[in-house]
Amino acid sequence: MVEREKTRNDDVPLDDKAKRMRDLLSSFYNPDHSSAPKPPSDYENLDAINSTSFDPDHYMNVLVQKSNLEGLLRRHVEMAAEIKNLDTDLQMLVYENYNKFISATDAIKWMKSNIVGMQANMEQLLDKIMSVQSRSDGVNTSLFEKREHIEKLHRTRNLLRKVQFIYDLPARLSKCIKSEAYADAVKFYTGAMPIFKAYGDSSFQDCKRASEEAIVIIVKNLQAKLFSDSESIQARAEAAVLLKQLDFPVDSLQAKLLEKLEQSLGDLQLKTVRIENILLESNDPSKQGKAFESIPSTGHEVSVHGFAEAIRAYRVIFPDSESQLIKLAQNLVIKHFEMIEQCVKSRISSANFLGALRTIWTDVLLMDEVLSEAALPDFSLEAGQVTVKKYVASTFTYLLQDISDALLKVKVSPNEAAEEHALKLALEASKKAVLQGSMDLLLDFRQLLDDDLGLLVKLREFIVDWVQEGFQDFFRALDDRFLLLSGRKNPSSQDQVLSEGALGEKVLVGIALVLAQLSVFIEQTATPRISEEIAASFSGGGARDYENGHAFASGEICQIFRSSAEKLLHHYINMRTQRVSTLLRKRFTTPNWVKHKEPREVHMFVDLFVQELRAVQSEVKQILPVGLMRKHHRSDSNGSTNSSRSNALLDDRMSRSNTQKGRSQLLETHLAKLFKQKVEIFTKVEYTQESVETTIVKLCLKSLQEFVRLKTFNRSGFQQIQLDVQFLRTISRENIEVEDAIDFYLTRYELRSFHVIVAASERCFDPVPLEPPILDKLVQVKLARSKEQSK
Amino acid sequence: MQGGYSGIGYGLKYQSRCISDVKADTDHTSFITGTLSLREENEVHLIRLSSGGTELICEGLFSHSNEIWDLASCPFDQRIFSTVFSNGESYGAAIWQIPELYGQLNSPQLERIASLDEHVGKISCVLWWPSGRHDKLISIDDENLFLWTLDCSKKAAQVQSKQSSSMLHYLSGGAWDPHDINAVATTCESSVQFWDLRTMKKTNAIERAHIRNANYDMKNNHILVTAEDESGIHIWDIRKPKIPVKELPGHTHWTWVVTCNPEYDGLILSAGTDSTVNLWMAPASAEDEATSERLIAESPTQQADPLLNSYGDYEDSVYGLAWSSREPWIFASLSYDGRVVVESVKPFLSRK
Repeated sequence: MVEREKTRNDDVPLDDKAKRMRDLLSSFYNPDHSSAPKPPSDYENLDAINSTSFDPDHYMNVLVQKSNLEGLLRRHVEMAAEIKNLDTDLQMLVYENYNKFISATDAIKWMKSNIVGMQANMEQLLDKIMSVQSRSDGVNTSLFEKREHIEKLHRTRNLLRKVQFIYDLPARLSKCIKSEAYADAVKFYTGAMPIFKAYGDSSFQDCKRASEEAIVIIVKNLQAKLFSDSESIQARAEAAVLLKQLDFPVDSLQAKLLEKLEQSLGDLQLKTVRIENILLESNDPSKQGKAFESIPSTGHEVSVHGFAEAIRAYRVIFPDSESQLIKLAQNLVIKHFEMIEQCVKSRISSANFLGALRTIWTDVLLMDEVLSEAALPDFSLEAGQVTVKKYVASTFTYLLQDISDALLKVKVSPNEAAEEHALKLALEASKKAVLQGSMDLLLDFRQLLDDDLGLLVKLREFIVDWVQEGFQDFFRALDDRFLLLSGRKNPSSQDQVLSEGALGEKVLVGIALVLAQLSVFIEQTATPRISEEIAASFSGGGARDYENGHAFASGEICQIFRSSAEKLLHHYINMRTQRVSTLLRKRFTTPNWVKHKEPREVHMFVDLFVQELRAVQSEVKQILPVGLMRKHHRSDSNGSTNSSRSNALLDDRMSRSNTQKGRSQLLETHLAKLFKQKVEIFTKVEYTQESVETTIVKLCLKSLQEFVRLKTFNRSGFQQIQLDVQFLRTISRENIEVEDAIDFYLTRYELRSFHVIVAASERCFDPVPLEPPILDKLVQVKLARSKEQSK
Repeated sequence: MQGGYSGIGYGLKYQSRCISDVKADTDHTSFITGTLSLREENEVHLIRLSSGGTELICEGLFSHSNEIWDLASCPFDQRIFSTVFSNGESYGAAIWQIPELYGQLNSPQLERIASLDEHVGKISCVLWWPSGRHDKLISIDDENLFLWTLDCSKKAAQVQSKQSSSMLHYLSGGAWDPHDINAVATTCESSVQFWDLRTMKKTNAIERAHIRNANYDMKNNHILVTAEDESGIHIWDIRKPKIPVKELPGHTHWTWVVTCNPEYDGLILSAGTDSTVNLWMAPASAEDEATSERLIAESPTQQADPLLNSYGDYEDSVYGLAWSSREPWIFASLSYDGRVVVESVKPFLSRK
């Protein structure tokens, strides 16, 4: 507290006084105390002394409470001094105020004495001004008449000048025509126009006529100028502007000029057509490129140049005609692309396609220079996108067509000699069509990609996508087509003609095999190569997501073709065995086996059976590779020796055991079981001659066995079966060409035919086999006869 | 092939072709089968699966004078069954009753309730209406379709009506629609024909060659499954006889017999001459078709294989096949060498 008092006194001894003075003055002149800022609470007890709300008792209390004696004493001294000071100040103020009041009274006194005498002076001034005014009025009236006259004269002179101008107009116009200063002429004429309009029918008739004649000439000249291509564009534009000023119907002129442009456009298209035609004719691959280099540089480009120039001129002449021109230019581009699409429809090489695109792009660039507002590059980019896509799609379609053509050529050569190789040829041709076709296709597309044409550069990513997608779809379509051709799938309506009418039954069966092998080829050779090629040059892409299409996925394609190859192979086997089944069914339903007569010869169905198998053999030999599967197919390695031994055993046993029927049947069953050992009929088929042939033979013999099981035989019926089967066995032995193959053929025929005989004996009341000599004899007779027939 | 040997075996003395589920026996899972031996005394075996499901017990053994080509158990009386038999030259069909006290007799004789004697040609099968008690029977031979009225108490069967197929169509078998008491399908060489038993007129036909066997789906109306020699299994909606609803690859050689599970939708069993039994999952209803199509669209590479399992543990062609209607996850198969194998398909159901 003491400290605070001290600091306060030390810091602001001077300010304190001044401040109080100011406060006092302000309170004097400004009685509103409420607005005065409230002193901070800390100093309340000290500063509040100046405020209206000062409470002396409270102040004393506070002071006495808070200060010590020394402080109070000092405070007392301070206060006494302050009071003295304040008194002095108050006295000063009063004195000053009084002083001012005295001087103000003096001034008022002085003013009062000076103002007397002013009135007289003022009245004098008014009189003088009045007289000046009356004089000036007089002057004004005296001059009025003359001035009016002068004005009238001036008007007449102006009028006369105009009349003079109008009378001079025809002459002036003709002068202008002579000097070709049409701009001036038009200016003059338009200037005179209002007068002619007002007085043309009366006083200036001749004049008007003459100048109109002149103007007609001018208009004519201007039109000529406008249409003449030799004039500079500037001049032509001026002419157009002048014509417009002359109220000449410019719109019709514009239309006319546009028409002219369109006409030239038509000519241009015609020229393009010619170029395309030439291109199409020059399908000779060596000439293709050259043909394109030369032709556009001469005819086409020049005419496009002309067209571009014309457009430029037109734009200058009619600045507000952009939309029409844009339409025109876009039309041209559209026509161009339509043309290409037409060409694409009828198979076109990529060089030609590229050439055509290049022509268009040059045109577009040319026109873009003069008409950038049309955004022709963008526009043609869109159109080009569609066209290129169509091109890609149609190329794939043609490839598909090529392949099916190659396959269907088989039927073209129906004569027997050719047929031996027909399937092979078809396979080779179609293999080539697939691989070579795909490679050519990729090469073509490569060309598209590698070209530095602006259009194609922009479309590059799309092209990559389309090619990938195209291949994916192409292989799917190919797979579908294969299934269709093989007759495995019910043909959809549009392809019905193709599969029904065109294909003969015989070819159809073989085709399935060809297709199977072709599928394997596609899976193992073509697809990897194509995907390699695609990876090499068509990677990237991904310009858009594959919502509808799919990128080329070789794995998926391989899978599709692997499975369809299997399907087709099985289908082939099925068709073959089905034919044999039909044969067998007929054979077994007709005779009454229980009342069969003694066998005299091998039944003729065996011939048909063998014939079928021979057909299989020939087809398989043409198509499939020789397999290295002599032995590994058998699960029991001792099969061959055992089976031949067992047959001997069986024959032997059967001849002996006529009486022991019950036991023999059991034995037969057990024997059969012994050699069945998971009969390998139903193992996986491989793509080899042996595998397919074996499978078919096995299946056919199995069918034979099943048919036998459904019948009941008497002894002769059983013997007939025995004889037939024996003949089959003999034939098969004769067919063995290489020593190595014995094992294989034995497996193929012996074991299965053995099962057939077992089945027949099981279904026989009295299974007594033929004596071996008789059997042999009958077989030999049949063999001799068939040999004779074949000769 | 796949999986080890899991079935329960039972050996018959001779070769045999047919096995049937005894549907009327609600206390036990039992099957009835008969042998096919031209030159021996044939037998009918009543087999029961033990309560633990671990072995097959011979519940009854009855002699049958001729070889049995077809056998069907009566769906409402477990002691009654029908056989088609042959002595090698001529065929016959009869309804038999198992004698009541057979457990106590040494060599019990089957009681012949009725002979279906009107046939002349080769009889292919006798059909009972599969869905319940019905006093009618159907028998089919090469050329004719007979509808019999059976009176068990009077032990008589009378021809109610008869219809001849055209000469060119040898009937090879048939199936009675479990959903329609008046509809029967017969198979012949070139087609499946549908008959209305009230008028005995042909109502419809599926033109398809070489159909071996046909079976109605017990769960879904209008669905017929056929087995064909070379081209596998087809599922038909008989309202749309032109194109099959579905196609299954079938067997390596002929698909001989096909049968739909009585309880589980789309579960099909087929047996063939390649000595295998295949278990398929092929739902045929339109709804399932839609979902499966969607699934295919989503993942074209992961198309579900309809083949659930292939049972390959057979020595010879399998001609006999029957689901148990009491425990529908159990089936019995019979290969030509006379071996009955009972298997459970439970492991494949849970996978679904």
